[in-house]
Amino acid sequence: MSNEIEELELPGIGRRYRLAGRDGGSAVVVVHHSGRRDLYVMGADADTPQATLALTDRQARTLGAVLSGAYFTPAVVEEMEAVIGDILIDWMTLRADSPGADRSIAELEIRRRTRMTVVAVARDAGTIIAPEPTEVLRAGDRLVVVGRREDLAAFTRHVIGAASG
Amino acid sequence: MGETLFAVGGALLAAGLLARLGRRIGLPTIPFFMVAGILFGPGTPGVVLVEEPEDLELLAALGLVLLLFHLGLEFSLDDLIGGGRKLLAAGAVYLVLNIGGGLALGFALGWGTREAFVIAGAVGISSSAIATKLLVELRRLANPESRLILGIIVVEDIFLAFYLAILQPVLGKSHGLGDAALEFGKAFAFLMLLAAIARWGARWVGKVVDASDDELLTVCFVGVAVLAAGVAEEFGVSDAIGAFMAGLILAETSAHERIERLVLPLRDAFAALFFFAFGLTVDPSDVGSVALPVAVAVVVSLVLNLTAGIITARMHGHSRGAAANVGLTVLGRGEFSLILATLAAAAGLDDRIGPFVAEYVLVLALAGPLLASRSGSIARRIPPRLVGEKPPTGSGSLDTHSMR
Repeated sequence: MSNEIEELELPGIGRRYRLAGRDGGSAVVVVHHSGRRDLYVMGADADTPQATLALTDRQARTLGAVLSGAYFTPAVVEEMEAVIGDILIDWMTLRADSPGADRSIAELEIRRRTRMTVVAVARDAGTIIAPEPTEVLRAGDRLVVVGRREDLAAFTRHVIGAASG
Repeated sequence: MGETLFAVGGALLAAGLLARLGRRIGLPTIPFFMVAGILFGPGTPGVVLVEEPEDLELLAALGLVLLLFHLGLEFSLDDLIGGGRKLLAAGAVYLVLNIGGGLALGFALGWGTREAFVIAGAVGISSSAIATKLLVELRRLANPESRLILGIIVVEDIFLAFYLAILQPVLGKSHGLGDAALEFGKAFAFLMLLAAIARWGARWVGKVVDASDDELLTVCFVGVAVLAAGVAEEFGVSDAIGAFMAGLILAETSAHERIERLVLPLRDAFAALFFFAFGLTVDPSDVGSVALPVAVAVVVSLVLNLTAGIITARMHGHSRGAAANVGLTVLGRGEFSLILATLAAAAGLDDRIGPFVAEYVLVLALAGPLLASRSGSIARRIPPRLVGEKPPTGSGSLDTHSMR
């Protein structure tokens, strides 16, 4: 198995790229001079494609972004994390049965007990940036936290509670 | 004027609507444009849109010029050099077989030497429009043999350029050797001049035509193409090769990509009129008289195409399926055959050439794509030995157990 792409000129049409898959088949992309892309999925017998798809230039770019993992729609992604150096930024939603629901940040002693900091609380009524220690957390709040990755588990346990599945 | 407008509009619409029907069942447009011309022309009963084919002469000529201009524009020697010697060899095999077969057929018909040269080209050169479209629409671009097919088409295009260049002096009614030599000399000098401009002068031509807005660029490049075609005729070479060379020259300029985009709609509209006008000249009552030569030509082409497919597939180590795909995809005949028949008519050659080529193109432009889409079942009838494949079922011989 290799990551090598075989590239070939198709006179009068454009260029053809072939990437071997893991099961003996291959994916073939034909880039037309016109910008059109044809995607072919070839079986191991190589003579007739198992599936084909014609894409416009824009569609092809979108598909390429999805394949490379660079494409996502943030609204769908409820919980995600980002890491800058060894700082982790994450956000998670408080449930009604979470240990942190209806208690204030000071009460929970979040910074002392988990070494994580709540930097923002997003709720329907409005987002609170840098909440005061007296702020009472409610079910449905999305908590934006900053800290080290190894401390995230403690925070989740202490404030959010075990995932109920 | 109203009558002419009515004729041109009716011709385009009839051609377009008929070709749309054909498109539904996956057939190419060229034969339908031509059939529209036959149906709505003076040769058949019913509605006659155009009484005199001459009425469309100028517009049809523009169609021919733009077809060849676009071919020159798209033409790239790099495509060929990039493909390597093996692609060139495959193209040569195809041409030797098919042009050779066409020439033999032309002489066998006994219509004359000049006629034989025209028939050789009309029967021997595939329609690149039909073949390219087939590959895209049958979703075969990923197949290993597709590059081979496209390579053959490129070699055919080059051949066509040389063939067109020498054909006109051959067709001319020159008397005696001295006259003929003079004609050749003139034609050759003119082509060399155009080639030199393409090689060294393209930058200056580019400066003249490359306007930054599309409108002026279009006006200028159409002017260059049509003027080159006209001057070419004055020098005793065909307007077709003049337009081709104009395309070659503009392909070297910085405006190349924009021209390629802008010329397409113009080419499509006028080329449709060219095919329609060709249909007008066909008298269905002549069809019977050339039916036998056409039948022979169709069989010869089918056999020679499959032979070429098998030989070239073998050269490249492809399967039987690939061999059938190669032979049947390039079987379609179209624009080039009709252009050659038009040149023959203009030179006053035997008037059976018109109906012969029309009927031959109609049959192969329709049969080619139909056969190509069913190439799998035809491939199974090719003996595996011919492409160097082993028999599909193990016969118990040692051979079947050996590693490849």
